[in-house]
Amino acid sequence: MSFLAILAGIFEGFGVTATITFYGMLYAVPFALVFGILQHFTAGPARVVVTSIIEFWRSSPVIILLFVFYYSLPSFGITLSGITVGAMALGLNIGGYGSQSVRAALQALDPGQVEAGRALGLRRLQILALIELPQAFKAMTPTFINQFIQLIKGTALVSLITLTDMTFRAKEISQLQYNPVGTYTALLVAYFLVCYPATIFGRWVEKRVSIEGRGQRDL
Amino acid sequence: MDMTSPQAAGAAQTDIAVEITGLDKWYGSFHVLKDIGLSVRAGEQVVICGPSGSGKSTLIRCINQLEQHERGRIMVNSREVGPKVRDMHEIRRDVGMVFQHFNLFPHLTVLRNCTLALTRARGMARREAEAVARHYLERVRIPEKADKYPSQLSGGQQQRVAIARALCMNPKVMLFDEPTSALDPEMIKEVLEVMTRLAEDGMTMLCVTHEMGFARKVADRIVFMDGGCIVEEAPPATFFDAPKTDRARLFLSQIL
Amino acid sequence: MTFDFSFALSIVPTILAAMGMTIAVAIVSCFGAALLGFLLEILRRTGKPMGYLMRFVIDFIRSTPVLVQIYFLYFVLPFYGVTMPALVVGVLALSVYYSGYLAEVFKAGIDSIPSGQFEAAKALGLTRIDAIVFVVAPQMLRNVAAPMGNYFVSLLKATPYLAVIAVPEMLGAAMEVASDTFRYAEPMVIVGILFLILAVTIAQFVRLLEQRLLASAKR
Repeated sequence: MSFLAILAGIFEGFGVTATITFYGMLYAVPFALVFGILQHFTAGPARVVVTSIIEFWRSSPVIILLFVFYYSLPSFGITLSGITVGAMALGLNIGGYGSQSVRAALQALDPGQVEAGRALGLRRLQILALIELPQAFKAMTPTFINQFIQLIKGTALVSLITLTDMTFRAKEISQLQYNPVGTYTALLVAYFLVCYPATIFGRWVEKRVSIEGRGQRDL
Repeated sequence: MDMTSPQAAGAAQTDIAVEITGLDKWYGSFHVLKDIGLSVRAGEQVVICGPSGSGKSTLIRCINQLEQHERGRIMVNSREVGPKVRDMHEIRRDVGMVFQHFNLFPHLTVLRNCTLALTRARGMARREAEAVARHYLERVRIPEKADKYPSQLSGGQQQRVAIARALCMNPKVMLFDEPTSALDPEMIKEVLEVMTRLAEDGMTMLCVTHEMGFARKVADRIVFMDGGCIVEEAPPATFFDAPKTDRARLFLSQIL
Repeated sequence: MTFDFSFALSIVPTILAAMGMTIAVAIVSCFGAALLGFLLEILRRTGKPMGYLMRFVIDFIRSTPVLVQIYFLYFVLPFYGVTMPALVVGVLALSVYYSGYLAEVFKAGIDSIPSGQFEAAKALGLTRIDAIVFVVAPQMLRNVAAPMGNYFVSLLKATPYLAVIAVPEMLGAAMEVASDTFRYAEPMVIVGILFLILAVTIAQFVRLLEQRLLASAKR
């Protein structure tokens, strides 16, 4: 089997990798936005609750989250498909990280912006939607792209709960014929082909954001 | 020196500390140094002055190759320097440099700032190096600060340490790149005093500075630069009292 | 099969016993990653061909999943006659993966050192290596303390990946219990809880250490 044939075989699993990534984003983005904003707004016991939820998803190793939900939920009477468990565990883990960049971006804004909104007679949620979030999004974009890449790479884990993603396909191929060098090299290349464009795009965005950034550089 | 020996000609040549001929340098398309020729004898003190952007800092930074020239030749202590010279770090050990912003190493004590190059570049034992360093800290009148960190010193004190650090290497030439420009007025004097004594001891010095009082008192020669060219070169008395060019006259009228 | 709480409690000591291994793997890998990352970054700053090559190596490491890198080293190295215990392969893989990230951290750390420091080192006639060791590295370390701390926590959370090559860290120990007893739910929940406690504790500890370091750096 030639290297290209192996690579093609591995890309048969791309559909699953992409699906998990897509559903993962459906968990990650809302979670990051909602919990990042909640953490920004809440205080006292409410904030402790919000922070605890974020920390649960963020501080648990993603591989353990995946195994806990995959192996343990059935014994509590909950059965979910592998795709759902994978997307949820990976997505909410990344969402936990994302919430921190949302909160950081909101906190980095000049408090004068909120005051100016208040002075214009806007309600708090209007200020958030019209003034704070649009400005925070810019600062968040590079981190979001990085976290997106982390999510794609994280999907390799679903091969451990028997979903036939790219990594799983590679393992199948290497069992069919003893060629670990070719197979695992091809697998590295496959992920590189998928993630590298995003890396480059992320770097480009980061450069633009930091150049436009309010007075971050003197030159 | 035995002038009748066959080496006489060679010995005369080593009397020249820095010899620059036909030097050109560009920043992109901007021609910063234009056909510079300058020769500095051992033991001579030369002050380079001129309006900002005239290329004077760039010129002395070419001498120890912190900047690289595109054309021409620079000889330092009879050795050519340039981008292709492999043992540049060895040549630099004989050329001391004092910067506008001191550039002391903030993570090292004053003493270690002075001994670092001695121990690492000259391979001197730590104890011996410390003796050398204390000697020069004494000379710049700051021996009591040896165990402090740079951030605990005033600007003037930091600059004197920087001078001591350069002197520790026992350089044959000292380059000063606007050594007092970043200092508060009350600290300029203490640094100039140290430099004056250094000149009196016969150190070969190339000094970019706006301190015209110092230049008049200490320099053997003033080199006036403008627009990347050496416009005028004269002893201080001539330069200050009877400048030949309009550009020098204009510069002096603005600065004095 | 329902969740058996008394069984869950009974396996806590077994999994706790593997905590030492988890921490040791994280610490050793962190040193490995720092050394390798620093080397990558220093080489990236040398001449053109080498610089581009290292840039590519760093991007490649960052654009492929750590799980796949573990498989790669584990299955490919023996093929070339390099056989190492799984533990060594695991530490090596984590070191390589995080070296890509630490190289970027070091890049930022070096870029924030004033250029005058490099000039002073040159002007004094220090060799390149001496300038790196005595002038650049110590100042860089002060700049990178905070992000290094974050990556150490991140590395700690990546140690359970090594369970896939049977390194006996916490998840590995839990998997062993699971395959011995055919009960997966309890070991996974227990390892999840224990790891969460460990990760949050270490993160707090790292934050404390950072503050100490920053305070002492302000002399």
